[in-house]
Amino acid sequence: MEQVIANGLYLGAQYALIALGLTLIFALMNVLNFAHGQLYVLGGFVTYTIYGQLGLPFPVALVCSGLTLAVVGAAIEKYLFRTVIRRSVREESTMLLAAAIAFFLDSVILLLFGEKQRGVPKIIDGVFISDAVILPYDRILVGVLAVLMIAAFVLFMQYSKPGRAMRALAQDRIAAQLMGVNVNRYSMIGFALGAMLAGVVGGLLVTITGVNSGIGGPISIKAFLMVMIGGAGVVGGAIAGGFILGMMESVGLTVLREFGDVTYLVIFALLMVFLSIRPNGLMGKPWG
Amino acid sequence: MDQLLRFQDVKLYYDHVYALKGVSLEVKEGETVALIGANGAGKSSILRAITGLQKIREGQVHFRGQRIDGTAPDEIVRMGISMVPEGRRVFPYMTVRDNLMMGAFTRGDRNEIRDSIDMVLTRFPRLKERYSQQAGTMSGGEQQMLVIGRALMSRPRLLLLDEPSLGIAPKLVQDIARSIVAINRDEGVSVLLVEQNSRMALRVSQRAYALSTGSVALSGNSAEMLTDERVRKLYLGGEL
Repeated sequence: MEQVIANGLYLGAQYALIALGLTLIFALMNVLNFAHGQLYVLGGFVTYTIYGQLGLPFPVALVCSGLTLAVVGAAIEKYLFRTVIRRSVREESTMLLAAAIAFFLDSVILLLFGEKQRGVPKIIDGVFISDAVILPYDRILVGVLAVLMIAAFVLFMQYSKPGRAMRALAQDRIAAQLMGVNVNRYSMIGFALGAMLAGVVGGLLVTITGVNSGIGGPISIKAFLMVMIGGAGVVGGAIAGGFILGMMESVGLTVLREFGDVTYLVIFALLMVFLSIRPNGLMGKPWG
Repeated sequence: MDQLLRFQDVKLYYDHVYALKGVSLEVKEGETVALIGANGAGKSSILRAITGLQKIREGQVHFRGQRIDGTAPDEIVRMGISMVPEGRRVFPYMTVRDNLMMGAFTRGDRNEIRDSIDMVLTRFPRLKERYSQQAGTMSGGEQQMLVIGRALMSRPRLLLLDEPSLGIAPKLVQDIARSIVAINRDEGVSVLLVEQNSRMALRVSQRAYALSTGSVALSGNSAEMLTDERVRKLYLGGEL
C-alpha cells in the first residue's frame, strides 16, 4: 500500500506540473492547447540529446529543455495564436490551430528524432529500500524536483509582479489593461511559462520512462483529464487534478493488474460520472 | 486653468451604429467635470475612447498637449489617466491588497507604493478592515471604494469614473460622492465623472456636459445646470 502511494505521489507531482502549464494557458488566453503533450515530448528529446547523446550534465540538459520550450511557446503565441485571435472571434479557430500545431509538432519530432523509444543513462544509481517502500533514488530525485518546481510556480504566481499581472489578466482582461498590463506581452510570457513547464517535465521523465515521438497525444489527453478533474483555469485545481490522476493510475495499475490494461478505461468511466455530478470539476468556476 | 484633456470632434461607432457623432469637450487641470445623459447617449463611449479601449473613427484626443488617440490602453495609464470601469470590475479572486498592488502596476518605487496604499486605506477605512479579504466577497459599496482606490494607485492626473453609483446602496452613494470631492481637492487629480444619477453628478462637479444620442446637447456650470429648466425636465425628472 505504501508503495502504491509513493508511486502515486511521484507520478502526481509530474502530472501536476504538466496540468499547471495547460491551465495557465487556458486561464490567460482562453485557449485549449491541444499541443501541450507535444511540448512535453519536445522537452524530453532536448534532454535526451544533450544529456543522453552529447553527455553534458543532466542539470544543463534540464535547463535547456525548459529554455527551448519557453522560446518555442513564446513563438507559438506570438506568431500563431495572437494572429488567429486578432482575426477571428470564434473559439473554434484557436482550437483548430492548437490541433494543427499538435500534428505539426508530432511530424517535426518524428522527422528530427525518429520513431524509436529513447532512453538516457540513469541520473543516479541505487534504490531506497525500507520495510514499506522500494523506490529508486532517481525517482525520488525527480519527484522532489517536481514538487520544488510546483512550489516555485505557486510562489511566483502569488507574490511576484508578473505573477500578479497574469492572475489579474485571467480574472478580468479589461480591468488588467486599465491597470497598465500589456495583454500581448503577458499572454506571451504566460504561454512561454506554460510550455516551459511541459518541457521541464519532459526532461525529468525521460530519465525514468524514456520518450518516444508518439506519446504527445496521450500526454495531452492526460493533461486535459487532470484539468477537468481539478477545474479549468485554477492553479489549485491543476495541482489537485495532477495528484489525483497520478494516484488513480498508481492504484489502478496495482489493483486492476489481473484484469489486463484497463486502468484508463476505469478512470475515464469514473470521470464521466464525476463530471456529470460536478461539471466544473473540484475547484472550477463556471465560465462566461 | 490649463487644459488637461481635449476631446475634439470625435466620432465613434460600433457595428455601423454611431455611438458618438462628433463630440467635443475638455477637462481643465484640477476640475471635476460630469457627463450626464440617458443610457446609450454615449457617455461610456467617451471614456472608452479616452482610455484606448475603443478606437475612434474621426477626430482627435489630446492629453497634456499630446495626441493620444490610437495609443494602447496600457500606455495611456502610464501617461497619467486612470479609469474606474462600469460595474466595478475588481479582481474577484485577489485580496484587497493585491487589487491595490495591481493599481500600482506601472510604478516601481516600493516605498512610495506603500505610502499610496496608506493614503487609500486612510481615505477608505473599510478597506483596511478587509485588507486580506478576497475582493469578490465584498459588498458592492466596498468594491466601489476598492476600485476607486485602485485607480488612484497609479497616481493619475486624470481620473475617469464610469457610473460609480450604479448598484450601490443610497447611503453609500453619498459617501462615494463625498470621496470624489475629497480626492479631487486633496490629491490634485482632475475627474471626469460619468453618471446616470445626474443630481449627484451635478453636485460634485464644477462643469457638466449633457449628452443626447451621441452628441453634446447642453453644457455649462454644474450649479446652474442643476436649476436649469431644460436640464430639470430632461435629466433630473422624477428623482428628488
